[in-house]
Amino acid sequence: MRSLDQLFEHSTRALASRTSRRSLLGGLGRMLTGAALLPLLPVDRGSRARAEEVKMDPASPESCEYWKYCAIDGFLCSCCGGTATSCPPGTSSSPITWVGTCSNPNDARNYIVSYNDCCGKTSCGHCDCNRNEREKPMYRPSRNNDLNWCMANADANYHCTVSVIMGVAEK
Amino acid sequence: MRARYVVSVALPCLLLAGRVLGASPPLPPEQLTIEKLPARSPHWVYVYDDAFDNEIDARVHLFDGDGYRRLGQIDAGFNPSVNISPDGSTTVVATTYFARGSRGARTDVVEFTDNTTLAVTREIVLPSKRIQTTPTPFNIAYSADGHFLFASYLTPAASFGILDPQHGTVLAEIDTAGCALVIPSGSYRVSSMCESGRLLTVTLDAQAHEVSRAMSEPFFDADKDPVFAQGIATEHGYAFLSFLGEVHEVDFSGAQPQFAPTWSLLSAAEKAQSWRPGAEQVGAIQRALHRLYVPMHRGGEGTHKDGGTEIWVFDLTSHRRLARWPVHSEGLTAVVAIQVSQDSAPIVFASTATAQLAVIDALTGRVRHIEKHLGQTPWQLLNP
Repeated sequence: MRSLDQLFEHSTRALASRTSRRSLLGGLGRMLTGAALLPLLPVDRGSRARAEEVKMDPASPESCEYWKYCAIDGFLCSCCGGTATSCPPGTSSSPITWVGTCSNPNDARNYIVSYNDCCGKTSCGHCDCNRNEREKPMYRPSRNNDLNWCMANADANYHCTVSVIMGVAEK
Repeated sequence: MRARYVVSVALPCLLLAGRVLGASPPLPPEQLTIEKLPARSPHWVYVYDDAFDNEIDARVHLFDGDGYRRLGQIDAGFNPSVNISPDGSTTVVATTYFARGSRGARTDVVEFTDNTTLAVTREIVLPSKRIQTTPTPFNIAYSADGHFLFASYLTPAASFGILDPQHGTVLAEIDTAGCALVIPSGSYRVSSMCESGRLLTVTLDAQAHEVSRAMSEPFFDADKDPVFAQGIATEHGYAFLSFLGEVHEVDFSGAQPQFAPTWSLLSAAEKAQSWRPGAEQVGAIQRALHRLYVPMHRGGEGTHKDGGTEIWVFDLTSHRRLARWPVHSEGLTAVVAIQVSQDSAPIVFASTATAQLAVIDALTGRVRHIEKHLGQTPWQLLNP
């Protein structure tokens, strides 16, 4: 898990330190499209500590404790008309995202998870979930979930967030 | 029978007439007016409310920490950045509007509100690249003399815009080579935070042209113990707290930032108990008293945005902790943002995960007032 983290961090650090916006987006795209996820997206911005969060059932995608949500921050699309891997009807997925690494207790594997924002409607307002394992502040954007990752969409409004497995994090 | 009828009907009428004739005069017609703000008080606080459940409708509430009442509101659009001018006269809001409310063409704009009237007096339309994120003092910020206004851009490529608030124009854009946010110092310097733990400092001329840039040595390790991006204003710069409770004080008064030796909020025993700072706004400093106020909680990796179950008070000179103020016993939920007034009778403001706003004596910790439901998600507290 750690080596995978470092791989992504090094890649994004190098990109961020010497690239323009256009080339950075292109680079992120190349980095992520290998998983055949078309519009990859972002993570969401931040629901900070909030009073009303979701039910605590680690086996349920509608629960904030679901294993894939280890670094999510926003409204769970599974509570908003979508699922853990699909955006709600009428929204669009964002082309940029950030990636986390979560451990699946059912098979003891670590998975690379893309937290994609769904965009184009105002915030869903249900199932706010704010988890921040290995999350970093916004001076490291590739690891930050406070940013509105719908930022580059034609409709940049933030609605909810999904979590999509990109692959196993092999050591 | 007839006499009884007269008495039964006429007597109440006479009594009613007497009551009417003897009553006070009717209320006069009223005049509809617009309330004027009283003279500014150091005990006012501007409460940033992201309105996260319906995020296109953020706002800033102006609250009086003496009268315990709302004084007014500044509208703030979608996921805004907010700051106050150095002279305290203006609140600046960098925000985004969509042409059809929640959708449609995006317009990024900076709006200037006169703090004596709460009316918007000017706006500057930005390129559609302003940073959309949670609040820090460095998303949008003035130069010390108020001559320039700097707006962070993130697309996610990082740069910043230089604005002329007096003439309402965008003067320039400066690429920051992957470093983020704007930390102004003096009239012509802007520093940005880099993931390498360094600060990039760009020096400008009076026409907003870049004159030079320099990269500092690393002052933190983003892998081992990153600092919160929410710096806390000190007399000569900012203090940055790390996730694990280290204090990095940076002096921005010279041509390049200077880093003081770090110190810890925690004893060895407290580290073993997993105490750490955490919030959306992680600290406030009363500069005359040299006191630092920090929301603290117990937790592990990933809890850096959890609010504080206690407020810890430190002396910035001796680095000694002066007090621990538990908040749950006062009826407060976790503290997610904190601020302190800079006057001689200072008060601490603390907002919570359930949108309470507490007014606390900054010397004794006594909770003077809890305002309930001050907005929805009050993630930042500002005062001039």
